[in-house]
Amino acid sequence: MMIDRRRLLAGSSVFGAAMVLGAPALLGQAKQRVVVIGGGAGGATAAKYIAKDSGGAIEVVLVEPAGEFITCFHSNLYLGGFRDLKSITHSYDRLTANYGIRHNRQAATQIDREKKQVVLADGTRLPYDRLVVSPGIDLKYDSVPGWSQAHEETMPHAWKAGKQTEILKSRLAAVEDGGTIVMIAPPNPYGCPPGPYERVSMMAHVLKTAGKTKCKIMVLDPKESFSKQGLFQAGWEKYYPGMVEWLGPKIHDGIKSVDPKTNTVETGFETYKNAALVNVIPAQMAGKIARDAGLANASGYCAIDPETMRSSVDANIYVIGDACIAGDMPKSAFAANSQAKVAALNVRGELTAARVFPARYANTCWSLIAPDDTVKVGGSYGAKDGKIAALTTFVSQTGETEAMRKEQQAENMGWYAGITSDMFS
Amino acid sequence: MSVSRLSRSAIFAAAALAGSEYGQAAAGGDRAFGEYLSAECVTCHQVTGQATGGIPAIVAWPEDQFIAVMQAYKAKDRDNNVMQTMAGRLSKEEIEALAAYFGSLPIQPLRN
Repeated sequence: MMIDRRRLLAGSSVFGAAMVLGAPALLGQAKQRVVVIGGGAGGATAAKYIAKDSGGAIEVVLVEPAGEFITCFHSNLYLGGFRDLKSITHSYDRLTANYGIRHNRQAATQIDREKKQVVLADGTRLPYDRLVVSPGIDLKYDSVPGWSQAHEETMPHAWKAGKQTEILKSRLAAVEDGGTIVMIAPPNPYGCPPGPYERVSMMAHVLKTAGKTKCKIMVLDPKESFSKQGLFQAGWEKYYPGMVEWLGPKIHDGIKSVDPKTNTVETGFETYKNAALVNVIPAQMAGKIARDAGLANASGYCAIDPETMRSSVDANIYVIGDACIAGDMPKSAFAANSQAKVAALNVRGELTAARVFPARYANTCWSLIAPDDTVKVGGSYGAKDGKIAALTTFVSQTGETEAMRKEQQAENMGWYAGITSDMFS
Repeated sequence: MSVSRLSRSAIFAAAALAGSEYGQAAAGGDRAFGEYLSAECVTCHQVTGQATGGIPAIVAWPEDQFIAVMQAYKAKDRDNNVMQTMAGRLSKEEIEALAAYFGSLPIQPLRN
């Protein structure tokens, strides 16, 4: 293969000099390559920071089949009518134009860790010096009895933004007053802990705005408790009285089966027949490419070194975002963006003479409950006791003033503009 | 330190005109360290100096003003739990480094 040969020749021609200077990457001829798999909050950020901060010393290839990215974050605001789809859709053009990142629009099908190559859908092998793996989550399509990938249009999950979100939105609009919506919430760990409950809020808002206040949203949760529970439940009571009912596993006694043909959900406690809409958010695991490469452990997610984000099983690979085991950090876009910067710094430290500083991580997740009523949870994190540990955390309180909640919604919108600018321009 | 809206705008404009050399010349903190630390800030605050929604612009500020604001968050004299958390873990040197870095950046014009 041409590229391999050229890289090999370039490498050997500087070998003597490199022995003397001890810094082959700085010589220019032997440009080292970082491949990034996945163009979401983790991957796009990592690609940008490695390319930008290495000033062209590292070749960065972003492997991502999509030409543009629809953010999962704020897709609930699209569902609720607070944003349009275009405003959560982002192009990779600035990353390629501004930082010289090569966007390879194919799916990565395999990581050949022995040869340090990524195999692409067309069979091409892309050699790497370091690999950043940021595939996000995969859905466990067999985790809800009776439901599978074949039923994802009938009973949408909408846990990948785009077509699924549009299906959910149009199905929600068609719900008639008095109809029952059933949401099957996911077990931990999953992407975006407050996401299902912000979604419930947005569904209720849409129904209420359309005057369909006789509708009921049943949330069947496999978890005993959930993120920002008190805040969401107080909000549902305040804005959508009688419209939302959350049932934990001790009450519903487990999901026994779903029948997509009749839109029926059977629990140990009750059977919901002819539901107007069933939203199945199944259990999740790290993206297939990471699991197939042996980067994940029995939990389905990938262990990492909390100081660097380097994979615990392969020193040439970094795993960031929802696919990794990030200790106390939740799986969120903010967290993925934060982890990407730690990985980018360490990659540069390894391949160039970049100064490396101790890892610092942060997260904040804002959730919209009703117009002008947003709550947040967050914290700062660091490497401690072999994991990413919370240093300080905060969460909104019930009973905050209307002005404060409104201010937090303005923050939420500002954060979205900030992080998408950080990722894509 | 109290700076009126008008005079602060004037300072911003001067800083923007002078570009990055402004901050480097005036920097008291370690700018390179500040650039590293800044990665945590720019998840919300746009590095271009554009402000959207409830997230203010933080580039091209006079360094002493930046330091005063961050110290007020650190001391919890200013509200906002995100900023109290972020500032709370920053040392005096780290705040100075951030002030030097963000102070050195120009406000960039809006792109489409």
